[in-house]
Amino acid sequence: MQMPEPSQAIISQRDALAQGLRQIVGKDWVISDDAQRRPYQCDGITAYMAMPLLVVLPGCADEVQAVLRFCNEKGVKIVPRGSGTSLSGGALPLEDGVLLVTSRLCNVLAVDEHNRVARVQPGVPNIKITEAVSHLGLCYMPDPSSQLISTIGGNVAENAGGVHCLKYGVTANHILGMQAVLMTGEMVELGGAYLGAAEGELDLMGVLTGSEGLLAVVTEIAVRLEPVPEVARVISMSFPSVEEACACVGAIIGVGVIPAGLEFMDRKVLDAVSVLIKEKFDDRTAALLLCELDGTAVEVDALVGVVSDVARAQGAIELKVSTTEEERQRIWSSRKLAFSAIGKLCPDYYCTDGTIPRNKLPEVLNKMADMSKKYGLDYANCFHAGDGNLHPIIMYDAAKPGDLEKAEEFGADVLIACVDAGGVLSGEHGIGVEKRDLMTHQFTEIDLQQQQMVKCAFDPKDLLNPGKMFPTLCRCAEFGRMHVHNGNLRFADIPRF
Amino acid sequence: MTDTQTIASMRPATTQDVADILMDAASKGEPLVVRGNGTRVGLGNPVAATRVLELGGLDQIDFYDPDDLVIRAGVGATLDNLEQVLAEKGQYLPFEPPRYAGLYGTNGARSTLGGAVSTALSGPRRILTGAVRDFVLGVEGVNGQGDVFKAGGRTMKNVTGYDISKLVTGANGTLAALTMLTIKVLPAPRAEVTLVLPAATLEEDVALFARMRALPLGIGGLVRRVNAAGVCEVLVRVEGTVPGVAGNQQVLNGLLGARGGMVVLEQAQSHALWAGVRELDCLNAKPDELVWRVNLPATTMPTFVEQARKAGCINRFFVDWAGGVVFSTMRGVQPEVDTLRYRKMAEKAGARATILRAPDAVRAQFGAFPPVSAGVAALAARTRTAFDPAGILNPGRMTVQA
Ligand SMILES: Cc1cc2nc3c(=O)[nH]c(=O)nc-3n(C[C@H](O)[C@H](O)[C@H](O)COP(=O)(O)OP(=O)(O)OC[C@H]3O[C@@H](n4cnc5c(N)ncnc54)[C@H](O)[C@@H]3O)c2cc1C
Ligand SMILES: Cc1cc2nc3c(=O)[nH]c(=O)nc-3n(C[C@H](O)[C@H](O)[C@H](O)COP(=O)(O)OP(=O)(O)OC[C@H]3O[C@@H](n4cnc5c(N)ncnc54)[C@H](O)[C@@H]3O)c2cc1C
Repeated sequence: MQMPEPSQAIISQRDALAQGLRQIVGKDWVISDDAQRRPYQCDGITAYMAMPLLVVLPGCADEVQAVLRFCNEKGVKIVPRGSGTSLSGGALPLEDGVLLVTSRLCNVLAVDEHNRVARVQPGVPNIKITEAVSHLGLCYMPDPSSQLISTIGGNVAENAGGVHCLKYGVTANHILGMQAVLMTGEMVELGGAYLGAAEGELDLMGVLTGSEGLLAVVTEIAVRLEPVPEVARVISMSFPSVEEACACVGAIIGVGVIPAGLEFMDRKVLDAVSVLIKEKFDDRTAALLLCELDGTAVEVDALVGVVSDVARAQGAIELKVSTTEEERQRIWSSRKLAFSAIGKLCPDYYCTDGTIPRNKLPEVLNKMADMSKKYGLDYANCFHAGDGNLHPIIMYDAAKPGDLEKAEEFGADVLIACVDAGGVLSGEHGIGVEKRDLMTHQFTEIDLQQQQMVKCAFDPKDLLNPGKMFPTLCRCAEFGRMHVHNGNLRFADIPRF
Repeated sequence: MTDTQTIASMRPATTQDVADILMDAASKGEPLVVRGNGTRVGLGNPVAATRVLELGGLDQIDFYDPDDLVIRAGVGATLDNLEQVLAEKGQYLPFEPPRYAGLYGTNGARSTLGGAVSTALSGPRRILTGAVRDFVLGVEGVNGQGDVFKAGGRTMKNVTGYDISKLVTGANGTLAALTMLTIKVLPAPRAEVTLVLPAATLEEDVALFARMRALPLGIGGLVRRVNAAGVCEVLVRVEGTVPGVAGNQQVLNGLLGARGGMVVLEQAQSHALWAGVRELDCLNAKPDELVWRVNLPATTMPTFVEQARKAGCINRFFVDWAGGVVFSTMRGVQPEVDTLRYRKMAEKAGARATILRAPDAVRAQFGAFPPVSAGVAALAARTRTAFDPAGILNPGRMTVQA
């Protein structure tokens, strides 16, 4: 994985830059020594590391503005970072860039119970929003598995999903307004704290959501709050084959039921988990689906009946339905422990998040089995089946020469198979550096150029998180001048990094 | 009624034709009116262009995959056609797109998917299921240079590149001539009833809306309006499974019983009622009246409405989205004066006041859409340039030139 060549000229100004930044945020909030910078070297993908030039922790939106203005004037790059749980390298530092960390911007600013909106700072961990409103019977719906740690700013930047986004939608569906700072230090307010506040002008908030920190630094977010469902019950459904489990996913949705969550685990995951939860799964089970249904008690009871019938018709061999909250939690614990259970089976694992049409699940899963043979690496599957969002867990040993490269190639093959099946490279983790070079497989040169032109509208100097998402740097000046038509590769000679 | 003296209309049948037309127009710097079938002429600002690019001919359904909740169709596919195709499989467009043909005196049966997405108008169900933007999964379009591009995809979740699908939704044809759209659909609720009860004061009704919405009762419509008999009433649409709706209805009976006088409309009646609400029928807008939409926090709505009525800026009105939107008519006697006053009032209340219908001159002068800050306007302008550097796609439709 190649990153843009760091600028030695910038690196040589490190001390002066640190001094300038200290004048903005105070001396304690610029980190320049090696030991304290080290924890920031990578995000959730530990395979990619770089020492940030400096780490800056602004304490308010004004300071964010001043930091960006300062860096823009000096031509210094900025990488925004929340909690650093990104699984695509979105928050990977640059050696000649300032890492702007939002952890001090961690307040829930206002809760409007009646209009059901909360205004929060970007460094607030996802779970804290729900904690701040649960006494009102409300919650913030998007629930990435990382919600204890990952920040709402990071969630917005990656348009994070979660187990419940099948029914309730992803981050983008729950944002009503935001305040953001452009690389120049200019602040913009988009939308507001009510439905429709953003209408009547381009949906700039929509394009900022999921923009992986490349367009602006988000400094405040207005999120929609929802009433907590009265009841939730989960059905655990075992199938004798992966195909039957996959077919059941389409069948449930086909009868008109949208479960709150619909998760898939294969036998390898079940075996790994059963060690941890000390519970055995039926020997005949090749794959397990967990289907959560929520709503009012009567409604959920009715849906449990419908889904159970569908599952049986699709060949389920065993159904377990939670009758108490305790049972529900216990059934879910297998899914929650899945990744750490696999982690105990192998020294390292690598997980991507390609997403496919739901009816292509069996086809792509079969291809994965072939790839595993080709690369000689074991893998397991545990994913958001209801969304067609795959999370293949590729097991490898970083200490073995060549193993990481093989795992990366295996992962890339899976993503290519996803795109070929009509899907996309990323459902919720983002492109970052991890999937950057595969963008040309999903998009044409023109598609990508159109996206990069949007980047130029926000950040014409390409100083905000460069080297992420696109396989080439932006050439904003040239985009304005040059124009070659359909199919003629525009910048055939630009070096890919 | 709009778009000054258009003299020539082009109605391409393929994406490539659209690209050819736009490449040609770009080379000449010639502006175009971009539209679907023109059923919403009068929405947005008038565009000064002599040629029309009409996309209604791109009307094929590319695929419909009910088990995957997704449909892909040309922008010219009519909403009526799509809704019928979906209904055959028990599914629907969750954003309940209004046609507003009654407002513009056009034929709603010709209203297109492309128009619905480009204008981003969402119906009463928005409070439950979301807005148009929440259902556009992928787009294909032609930018102002004649380049065909696509963005997004067909999967439910997607963080692969910038969300251009959201950006073009509600762009009113100013970024690209859209050619194909991939839309997320949902199973239509199996059961639906509407509870009708007498209205109280706006404050009381908004408070009641909030109490209902605090519970997860599947409420897909909360409206306060005056009915055909001149009686002011509150409408509560409850949707879901058959037992779910029955259960929720019981809870609501408890919550609303104190008011008395409740009438229950079953499925078919309820359906017909909301089709009318969606089209703003209860406004009963007279031909010479202006029609407005104001988005605002429900809690500030009652005061805003009182003031605007006193000031004569609201003639008739009704409230949708649980109090979060006010649709109103304005007398057409002194439209310039009243428009300015109403906009000022809205601005003070932190609200956004959009003109849905007004004479061309009024929209041209004040802008159909409420102004945004200078910074946002500049960023939006740069974004438009990124798609349409020559400014040939619906120039001025969304912004008033200074
Ligand atoms: C165990 C685990 C489970 C996970 N489960 C899920 C899951 O279920 N669903 C899911 O979607 N993801 C999941 N993730 C991925 C990750 O948690 C999400 O992408 C999350 O949204 C990242 O938040 P963060 O605060 O850690 O952001 P970071 O990792 O710090 O940053 C992520 C990106 O956001 C940008 N960014 C951060 N803050 C801002 C800001 N204020 N303004 C502009 N840009 C900003 C960064 O530049 C970077 O590109 C998981 C990760 C882990 C480690
Ligand atoms: C001349 C006239 C014209 C009317 N035209 C309309 C009309 O076009 N549309 C209509 O909805 N009703 C109309 N009404 C009916 C009116 O809403 C009811 O009579 C109302 O309950 C009492 O209104 P008020 O202004 O006399 O009392 P107020 O004390 O001013 O209002 C009582 C409450 O009803 C609310 N309210 C008042 N008028 C309306 C209204 N128009 N719509 C919704 N809530 C309202 C007020 O905000 C307040 O909360 C009209 C009444 C009159 C006398």
